Amino acid sequence: MPAPEEKIAEHRITTKPFYLPQGDEVEIAKTAHANQLPLLLKGPTGCGKTRFMEFLAWELKLPLVTVSCHDDLSTSDLVGRYLIKGGEAVWVDGPLTLAVRAGAICYLDEIVEARKDTTVVIHPLADDRRDLPIEKKGELLTAPPDFMLAISYNPGYQSVLKDLKQSTRQRFVALEFDYPEAELEARIVGRESGVDQATARALVRVAAMTRALKDSGLPEGASTRLLIHAGKLARSGIAIRTACRVAITGTLSDEPELLAALDEIVSSVF
Amino acid sequence: MDHSELTARLAALIEVDALNYWEIEDYVEQLAAQPTEVQEEVLRQVGVIWPVSQALCLDFLDQVQRGLNCLHHSRLGEWVNATLDVYEKDGLKQAQRFLAEVESNFLCQIRGKSGLGLTEAGGRLLPYLRGLAGRALDLASAPTTYTDSQTIFLPPEITLCKEKRENFLTYKLLASWQWGLLAAGTFSARLTPEQPLIRELIVRHGRRLSSEQPFPANFYHLFPDPELAGDLFLLVETVRITKLMRQELPGLMRDSAPILAQLRRQRPALSGLEGKNRLLEALNHWALTAAPPESAAGPNAKLYARAVELLLPLANTGGTIDDSLGITAQLYRLCERLPGGYHPEHPPILGGRLQPRAVEAIRLRRREESRQQFIKALGAMLAVEAGENAPPERHPAQRQKPSGLPDDAAAALLPPPAKGGEGEQPLKPPPAETEYITVGGREIKIPEPLRELAGEIRQDLGRIPERYISAALEQAGTAAVGGPGPDPNEGPEATGPLLYDEWDYRRGGFRKNWCTLLEKQLLPVSSPFVENTREKYRGQLRLLKRQFEMMRLQQRFVRRQKEGDEIDLDAAIEALIDIRAGHPASDNLFIRLNRDERNIAAIFLVDMSYSTEGWVSTALKEALVLMCESLQVLGDRYAIYGFSGMRRSRAELYQIKHLGEQYDRKVKGRISAIIPKDYTRMGPPIRHVSRILAASEAKIRLLITLSDGKPEDYDDYKGEYAIEDTRHALIEAKAAGIHPFCITIDREAQEYIPHMYGAVNYIFINDVKRLPLRMPEIYRALTT
Repeated sequence: MPAPEEKIAEHRITTKPFYLPQGDEVEIAKTAHANQLPLLLKGPTGCGKTRFMEFLAWELKLPLVTVSCHDDLSTSDLVGRYLIKGGEAVWVDGPLTLAVRAGAICYLDEIVEARKDTTVVIHPLADDRRDLPIEKKGELLTAPPDFMLAISYNPGYQSVLKDLKQSTRQRFVALEFDYPEAELEARIVGRESGVDQATARALVRVAAMTRALKDSGLPEGASTRLLIHAGKLARSGIAIRTACRVAITGTLSDEPELLAALDEIVSSVF
Repeated sequence: MDHSELTARLAALIEVDALNYWEIEDYVEQLAAQPTEVQEEVLRQVGVIWPVSQALCLDFLDQVQRGLNCLHHSRLGEWVNATLDVYEKDGLKQAQRFLAEVESNFLCQIRGKSGLGLTEAGGRLLPYLRGLAGRALDLASAPTTYTDSQTIFLPPEITLCKEKRENFLTYKLLASWQWGLLAAGTFSARLTPEQPLIRELIVRHGRRLSSEQPFPANFYHLFPDPELAGDLFLLVETVRITKLMRQELPGLMRDSAPILAQLRRQRPALSGLEGKNRLLEALNHWALTAAPPESAAGPNAKLYARAVELLLPLANTGGTIDDSLGITAQLYRLCERLPGGYHPEHPPILGGRLQPRAVEAIRLRRREESRQQFIKALGAMLAVEAGENAPPERHPAQRQKPSGLPDDAAAALLPPPAKGGEGEQPLKPPPAETEYITVGGREIKIPEPLRELAGEIRQDLGRIPERYISAALEQAGTAAVGGPGPDPNEGPEATGPLLYDEWDYRRGGFRKNWCTLLEKQLLPVSSPFVENTREKYRGQLRLLKRQFEMMRLQQRFVRRQKEGDEIDLDAAIEALIDIRAGHPASDNLFIRLNRDERNIAAIFLVDMSYSTEGWVSTALKEALVLMCESLQVLGDRYAIYGFSGMRRSRAELYQIKHLGEQYDRKVKGRISAIIPKDYTRMGPPIRHVSRILAASEAKIRLLITLSDGKPEDYDDYKGEYAIEDTRHALIEAKAAGIHPFCITIDREAQEYIPHMYGAVNYIFINDVKRLPLRMPEIYRALTT
């Protein structure tokens, strides 16, 4: 079993991630870190929340431990558990404990997907106590000053049942993310996928049109991530209309008429 | 078919009493001459139209001969469908006209086989358009293409090309082009006599700038020949917007090249034209394909070249609406050099002329709407505020006029400022000054929900007129006196009437807004029925409750897991024994707590038709009681609705228990109150209940129908029609993520239920007495 130092080293970010700030979010996040305040990132899927965390970790020179939450995520999955290895019970730290011990950033992605009891374990960590009780070991970890907790959620599509509890959300500094404005988004798409600026701008135009369809039956418009996918396919030689169809419109809906309309949008722009 | 058979068949389809025998005789005689397959088709269509409109059906019988003269009988259905669409949209008169003008309205167009109707194209075109515009534009059919900034009007049918795909592209091009008008701000310029161009035109032509006419009509009227000016302006705008579209929608413009070429081929030939008409047509040719017309401009080649030179910068680099106005004026001067008048005989390129009045009407309507909304919302807010604070002596007269603003009445009369294309601009946050308004002398922050509206009003009028605020204050004053808050009347609110479509399988389409559904609450009665039932099934009920309790899977320990929260002691001991004995030990040593939440919403739809009279009704009610008692234990959300009704105008849905309601005295009273009523029109209640279920937040949504027979109503809702409509309603429900299931006691159910619900989604109970106990069992099987 690797030592904790080795394990956390896997979470160090070695190359500077590409991130274009949309506003003052980097500065706010850094200030929050300096003041030992946890972060709550809100925003639609694929708009750059995770990339922002990577960038922040790089800027702060801290390891980033990311946990993608799912509805079966238990407290043990976060904190750690005993495992039996060769007749012996061995304690293994969970990602959260690992991050607390190492003074890293722990990023719980899509926190509302996790079970409600799981979210409660972060409560003492997210206020001024900054404690993580490990009940099974009878240990109380206090986070070092560098540790930072960040959670994200998408207020758009989750059901009312999966809303974040007030007692949880009222511990965080909230940063709202949205799709970047057109020019910035085009630069991001161009840079990430390697397509030229004209194509990137056109992709962004397609995305803007799909986002406008939200009231016409589309649950969510195309995210920046999808644009980058389409751009990558196009750069690798797939015809741009096909690339858009498979990477953008096909992923957005299954409804034939809406799909047809989305295809029309694509064929208008390209 | 011979004469008598035809008569009999026709008489079976239509109510013969409504006709004189000689009229029937007439129809039969006409039909008798046709081959059998034509007769069959005509009779089939009669069956489609008669239930919708008898008058229209007789008209159809009158006209069918003419229709058949130029149309293969297999296409009669399309004709009838188109007619019914007109009927449902514009009423009988229009539909009769549509039937009568069969050749010009319909047949000529569909004869080519290639035509594409707007109804067919709309499903795809509308979302496309809304995506393009970024707001909820609408589509409607009209003889010419134009827009009023809210709706884009397109021809009902396009037959320009051979292929459907190309005709759709034409629709797309026309619709996008109208969007281009809105996006480029064609309707949003504002003219004042001070502008150099306008001043020059006034001096030159000696006309005044009309304050009555909206832009751009007021611009045309600065010229001696407004028609010519209008068509020139449209031409210039076409060039400017084509450039915009090439820039924004390059793919569309590339795909549309053959369409534009086709449109150009359809333009009148230049050789037949003279003077101004010829020059303008030559320019139209040029604008469509950016290629010079074949014979250039003939005798006036020089003028033509000069005009193209004027238009080229717009075509190459684009421009603003002001550029267009300037170029229009220059083109007009060129035209003046040509002899003769201008006769706009030919339709303008790419659809119709601009309709400034329609745009103006929409803008005024929108302004009025936002005024009312604003006053209402602000008034409500102020009323709440007044209720919270000490009631201040607010009086409209006390209000302080914000400094530097003209009088509100005058301000409201000012023409609106230039507006960036009716909201086509990218959304930007409303200017900072929209955050505050001055009310009664003090600055108050505009609450969040009002801010967008306030921004809109400011964009339209430049500011929020003070009379809006004073009206809101007045409203707040009266509201505060009357006491805010909702109507204290708590009585059961019957929703409706709601309109639902009905599926006509013969037509392969919906009869639009065909049924009226009323949602009513059943009044609870005090009756010992529920208690008696509980007593009657006491033993079984205890068993049922135990079974349902076991289904509460909320927390469950799973043993022998690879990982978990606790050590499974048994497994650990076994493992130790194994190790001691020298066997390889299992590492499944943990207990895990599984929390599977039941996330189910179920609606029971109970047949309350007269056929359930007697013991069937009693069994149904008992079944409901046992179901409720069992579900009490389980905690699933469920609702109960009863349905009945008579004719399409009165489908009734009785609310017995809604999804959020507790199983209490009232619900028990309503279950006791279930009595057989009228008929079984199943489509509307299923559609309505599906809508309720679809809106509920549940992973699994169940629609369980309890019925004793086929769907049937007093009118023509019976047999195949009724079954097909019900089936379609269930398909719609499935599409909305609902699992329909049917419990029936009809012995003939095998014949139609599998077709309606699908082979596995129903159960037949042959002994009605067993229904009450079977039902909870069925539910249990369905949800585990």
